[in-house]
This record gives sequence, structure tokens and C-alpha cells, in this order.
Amino acid sequence: MTRPAGNDGRRRSRRQPGPAEEPAATAQPGTPGTDPAAEVPAWVSEVDDLLSRAACELVLEPGGHDAGIGPMLARVSATLAGTGIDRLAALAARIDAARTAPIDVLAGSFADIQAAWNAWKASAPDPAAAGERTDASATATDPADPELAMLAGDRELAAMFMAEALDHLATIETLVLQVEAHPGDVRLLNDIFRPFHTIKGNAGALGITSIQEVAHSIENLLDLARDGRHTIGSAEIEIILRGVDLLATMVKSLPVRLAGGSAPDVGRACGALVAEVDALVRGGTPADTAATAPAHSAPAQPGTTDTAAPPVPAAVPDARAARTDGSLTAVRVDTRKLDALVDIVGELVIVQSIIFADPALQQCMDERLARNLGQLRRITSDLQRSAMSMRMMPIRPTFQKMARLVRDLGRRAGKSVELVMSGEDTELDRKVVEEITDPLMHMVRNSIDHGIEPPDVRRAAGKPLPARVTLSALHEGGSIVIGIADDGAGLDTERIRARAVSLGLIREDAALSPAEIHELIFRPGFSTADQVTELSGRGVGMDVVRRNIESLRGRVEIQTTRGVGTRFTIRLPLTLAILEGLLLRAGSERFVLPTFCVRESLRPARNQVHGFQGQQVIQVRDSVLPLVHLAALFGIDGSLPDPADATVVVIEDNGRRVGIVVDELLGKQEVVIKSLGEAFARVRGIAGGAILGDGRVGLILDAGGLVDLLDRPLACAA
Amino acid sequence: MGAEQAVVVTAPADVRDTAGLAGKYLTFTLAGEDYAVGVLKVREIIKLLDITSVPQVPRHVKGVVNLRGKVIPVVDLRLKFGFEEQAYTDRTCIVVVEVAMPSSTALMGIVVDSVSDVLTLSAADLEAPPEFGARASADYILGVATVKGRVKILLDLDRVLGADAALTPGA
Repeated sequence: MTRPAGNDGRRRSRRQPGPAEEPAATAQPGTPGTDPAAEVPAWVSEVDDLLSRAACELVLEPGGHDAGIGPMLARVSATLAGTGIDRLAALAARIDAARTAPIDVLAGSFADIQAAWNAWKASAPDPAAAGERTDASATATDPADPELAMLAGDRELAAMFMAEALDHLATIETLVLQVEAHPGDVRLLNDIFRPFHTIKGNAGALGITSIQEVAHSIENLLDLARDGRHTIGSAEIEIILRGVDLLATMVKSLPVRLAGGSAPDVGRACGALVAEVDALVRGGTPADTAATAPAHSAPAQPGTTDTAAPPVPAAVPDARAARTDGSLTAVRVDTRKLDALVDIVGELVIVQSIIFADPALQQCMDERLARNLGQLRRITSDLQRSAMSMRMMPIRPTFQKMARLVRDLGRRAGKSVELVMSGEDTELDRKVVEEITDPLMHMVRNSIDHGIEPPDVRRAAGKPLPARVTLSALHEGGSIVIGIADDGAGLDTERIRARAVSLGLIREDAALSPAEIHELIFRPGFSTADQVTELSGRGVGMDVVRRNIESLRGRVEIQTTRGVGTRFTIRLPLTLAILEGLLLRAGSERFVLPTFCVRESLRPARNQVHGFQGQQVIQVRDSVLPLVHLAALFGIDGSLPDPADATVVVIEDNGRRVGIVVDELLGKQEVVIKSLGEAFARVRGIAGGAILGDGRVGLILDAGGLVDLLDRPLACAA
Repeated sequence: MGAEQAVVVTAPADVRDTAGLAGKYLTFTLAGEDYAVGVLKVREIIKLLDITSVPQVPRHVKGVVNLRGKVIPVVDLRLKFGFEEQAYTDRTCIVVVEVAMPSSTALMGIVVDSVSDVLTLSAADLEAPPEFGARASADYILGVATVKGRVKILLDLDRVLGADAALTPGA
């Protein structure tokens, strides 16, 4: 679903049916893009963008002529002239006349230009919606897929339906698991009923009958249950969960179907599920007077269930209130817009710190100015905080997925396991939440599969049943700490050691502490499960878990006690947008080294540095590490200090440690991470760029890349 | 698109081929020669900023600069075209241009000796690229224009900076 950004794009694209061909016909060299569909909204938003930037420049550049505005306006006028629309061509001519004028004259006429542009945008013929819709359905809809007729015409609607439905399904899933513990809780049943009802309603409104039918059938079951006419037991829960899975599959396959691709055929599964629910409703009802009536009426008259709510008066206002609340307090925003906002605010903060550090300002002693600046600083930092918080989301949905996982895995492995969660409301960066799910799932799986003993073993050991897996999340300092703990058997140090020896990871006589041995499970190719079960292992190992966590700039640690349990602790940065780093100088350049990979820094004594096979090495306590001169590695002039006169920063990546020689440490700094883009994708040892306090760019070092750059002559592993 | 045009204009000279090139151009100088790029490629012109050098890249890639919070690469066109290196003066500018990279478009800065003007070039001013004479490889040239007796070389920036991945090390 590659929609151009938001509503605007679409509105504009409809307004101007064919401008795409026209600019192409005048064939400016380098007219961007060749795909008319992609280009249509692009030029309008580009003109918008250019005009607003020119407006900013005009304000920022009082007096004098800024060379930047001329080309910007030239570009606007060329774009407008190229549209072949009379009114815009006239505007282009006006812009052309204005752009060479002195800046104060230009500033005067600029407002008129902007007004004329805005007037054009507002007055342009209104969307011939029908035209676009036919167009879209002609290309996108498979005539054999009449369900999608409505969605195909409106991709935005489709995206919205999907996002909402998946949200609802996630909610349902969690709640169903709670029903298992409190089967008679009517409020809980109401809470599950509502999202099903919404999904059914939305699907119905959009004409997606298959989804509507499945949702309707389960809704019907729930409706009976909350009226006390049907008891929810494990069979019901099982079937509701299956329904959730089925609906999720169907919803997720919509984009594929819309694109004309073939989605998994769920027709039979739908039919089977609906039939099963039916049978359950009919046969499974407890000896009750209402046994046959609802089973009869509901499937027969699908329309009545919507209005069937009144018999439960309490539920209706409840449902309505919840929905109103939801729509009032949350807005869906394209994450790219959010990222852009965070970026801009980051810039604002940096510019502010540049201004505050300006010597001219430092000399100014005006009290009122100082007060106002203080106010500005406070507001800016508030703004930054709230912009950051918009990217944050609670880890709850991720934890909820684990609840389902624990239930299913425990059941399948014949182990009785309960999941205890704490700190579900802890917020972390959206990206972190997304990326942490897989590693967490793997670790939970490991806990249940390898950690927790079968019930008879637990009973024999006098350990409580059910076994317990604990998920926790909390803020600690500048990071998020996520814990996955189980009260299982703990890691078997001897077995891990034996396995590592047999895999050739360590020598038989290697002297390793238990903690070092436990670390071995993070090595690639390591797996202690004697047989790989269906549930865990298979392909993905703890090495992947660690790599995923490190790619989020986090770390994972193990604490384990034989017979008592294992705890994995994951430490993650609060946000991925900001990185805490050490600012280093090597020759004329400054670099940011992420602190998470720094082990220590030292001023080595002369007798710590040795030559070893043509390579400088440093002895740090009992290990010998290779040394890398950052300036030499990156070909920077003006610095090749004797390590004994310089600073050595010890970094670690994937268990390998290296000493980096730099001229000096300039301190710790938080920086906003900027990508260097495709152009520098192949530069090794650099992870990105950051704008430093003085406005210059500093490169962010990539520990893994630096270590790779060394042709490790010495193994630094134990 | 850039590629298509280049193919067209390197074909034997024909008035119709160069007609497609008519339009507005930003002109600038490099070592006394006049060059031009289509204004639609130009995002803005900035004064020279402190450039942070990037390791493992060819000599003409000067590094990266902070363009209002965006980190963009900067290429010295003098060095790219094999002119002698010259200390930057206060007329030296960075022209920020949009370049088609293999999988996206990117903003990039080009260091030029000085920026001259925006010209409107009509088909009558334009010719196909000459077989010889320019320092820039013929692949990089869309055509030439003669304005008031001076020859302007029209550059295909996507070729100069983008498609050949001019910035990446190795390969």
C-alpha cells in the first residue's frame, strides 16, 4: 500500500487530472520521475514546499540578497509553467518577474504570489471522485473478488480498516485469555463482544462478507454468553482464539488480494469455523430454557444481532462511551510525519544550543533577554520531550502476545505455566517495541521449552505448579530494562560446557567461570536442546536474539541458578533517535562512539603497549588487545600519537575487544542520529552522522565495522 | 529519464533532439569554464560550510555537511572533472541538487567556483555535445549552449553523481 502521503496527495491528484504529461512534454532536463501516477501529487507538494521554504528564507534573510531564494523561485516558476494550466503559467510569469527584484521588493510581492497559489489550490475543480474510483477498480479489482469492490476504490479506507481490525483482534486476544481465568465475568465478555461487533460492522459496511460472517458468528456466541444463555468453557475459548487467528489472516491478506495476488484460500476454514460455532451454540448450551431459541434466531437473521443489544441495556451505553472515548483521544498519524517532527525538533534543540553558546550572546548582559532566553530553553526542552513521547508506545501489546504464546506452548508441551507481567505500561520507542517482539518470543519459548521442567519433575522437586514465567519492564536511568525470568531448572553449566567443547567453541582445558560458560549460549550455532523440538530452537538461536538486541543498541545478560531458574535481562536505549556517545577527537576530525560498545578508556602506561607481529597491542590487565589508530585507519592528517601519549578506548563487539587510539576524549554527548544515506552505504566502520554542538557533522563510529576492519591477528577470546 | 535523454543527445546532432533540453538552467563556473544544470534539479545554493570528511571515499568526495539538520554528501566538481585543486574562496558555493541514486533520490552538494545566474535556454541556443574539448566525460554532458559568445556545458547530474555510485568506496 504505497499511498502518497495522506489525504492531500489524493485530493490534489484528482484535481489536476493530467499535469503529469505536460511537464514531461516540455521535458526539462531531469524532470523527476517517469511514472505519472507518482508524479501527480509530487509537483504540487513540491511547489508548496518550495514556497514555504522561500517564505522562511525571506524572513530569515532581511537585507542583502540571498542566492538561495532565486533558484527556489526559478524552480517554482518552471514547475508551474510546465503544468500547461493558464492560471499557473500566469503565476509563473509573476514569480519570474519578482524573483530578480531586490529582496525587500520580493518580500512584498511574495505574499501575493503565495495567496495566488493558495487560491488556485482551493479553487481547482473538485475531485471527480467517480472517475478515479472507476479507474482504480478497473485496474485493481479482480472481477472474481466482488468483496473488494469498495476497498479497491479507496486504499486509504482499506488501510484504516485493516489497522483497526488488527488492533481489535489484538485486544480480543488478550481479553479472551483473561476470560479463561474469570469465565463468568460479564464485563469481560462485553469487552470482547464490542470489538467483534465493530469488526463485523465495518466489514459489513465495506462489503467484505467473509470477514463479516466469521465475526458475526463469534459475536453471536459471545452475545449468548453475556446474556448468561451460554457458558464459556475451554472449547469456546479455543474456538474464539481460532476465530481471531482466522480473522487476522483474512485481514492481513487484504492487501495481497487488492493487488490482485492470490491469498491463502480461507473459505473452507471460515465455513468450518462458523459451523463449529453453530454446533457449539446449539449443542453446548447448558440446560437452559433459551437453549434452542437463540441458536435458531441468530444465524438465521444476521441483521438482528446489531439490534439485539437492547436486551442488555447496561452494555449499550458502556459500549458507546468506550468508542467515543477512543476516537476522541487518539489520532492515527503516519509514522513518517512523526519521525520528521522528531527530527525537526532535534534540529531546533541543536540550533538553540548553538545560539546559547554564541560568544556575542554570552557578552550580552541584558536581564530581560536572559529571562526570555531561559523561557525559550524551557519551552524547547518541553517540546522535545513531548515530540519524543509521541514516538513512544507502551510495551503492553508485545507482552500480550507473549501471554498467548505461553498459553499455547505450555499446553502443547504438557507443562502448566502461568505468565506474570509487570510494567506493561512502560513506554519505549515504537521501533524498539516492533523489533523486540521476535527476540522476546524466542526467549519465552526457550524458557518454556528448556527452562521449565515437566510437571512430574517439578512435583518431585517440591516446586510449585503451575510454573511461572515473569515478564517485566521498567525504566532505569536512561534505559529500559526488560526481564524474562522463569522458575525452571536453570542453565546446566556442565552440559553447556561439554556442548561448546564438542562444537569446538572452546578448548577442553579452557578455564572459564560459570558466567563465561553461560555466555556461550549466545555463540552462533549453539543449541543445547538434545533434540530440536517443534517449539523452540530450529534455525533461530540465541545468537540471533543477541544480534537483534544489539542492533537496537541494547545488551542482554543472563543470571541463572541451578534448580531455581533463569533470568534474562535486556537493556535497551529509551529511543533510537538519540544516541549517547563519547565524543572523540582524532586529528582534525571528531567522532561519536556509542557508549554501549565502550568497555573502558585509559591512558596507557608505556609498558602496557607492545609490538606483536608488526601490530601494536595493549595489555589491559590479563588480556592483550589489538590497537587501532583511528586517524590512521581513516586516513586523517595531523595525528598519529604514540599510544602512550594518547587515550585508548576499549570497545567490544560480539565478544571481540579492540583498543582504539584517539587524541583525546571530549566528553559524553547525546546526539540525534542521521543516516548518511545510500551514497555512503558501503563505508565501513561508520554508522551514521550526528550534528554536533557547533553545527558541524560528526561521524558516528560503528564498533562492529571497526572490529571487522582489523584483520584480527590475535584472538582476544578466552 | 536522464539516461534516455543522454542517449538521445549523443546521437548525431539534430535540432529536435536538443529541443527537449530548452528550459531554465542555473549556471556556474569551474576553472574558468561555464557549466549549467537544470533548475529543476537545484534545491538551493548555500555558502561553503565546514565539511566533515568521510573515510574510504574517492578524493573528489569532500565529505558531509549539515544542511539544516540533514546530513548530505558534498562532491567537489573540480576534482571530479580532474581540474587542479584550488583553495576555496568566498565565491565558492555549494549547490544543493537532487540526484537519482540507484534506489532513491538523494540531496547532494556540489562545490563550484562560483554561481553565475539562472538562464532561460531556448532550442536555438542549444547544440549536441561536442566530440572533444570539455574536461567532463562526454557521458556527463547533455549538450552545450552558446550564450553571448560563451559556451555553457549542460551537465547530466544523475550521471555525474548518481548512477555510477561515484561516492562509494571499492567496487
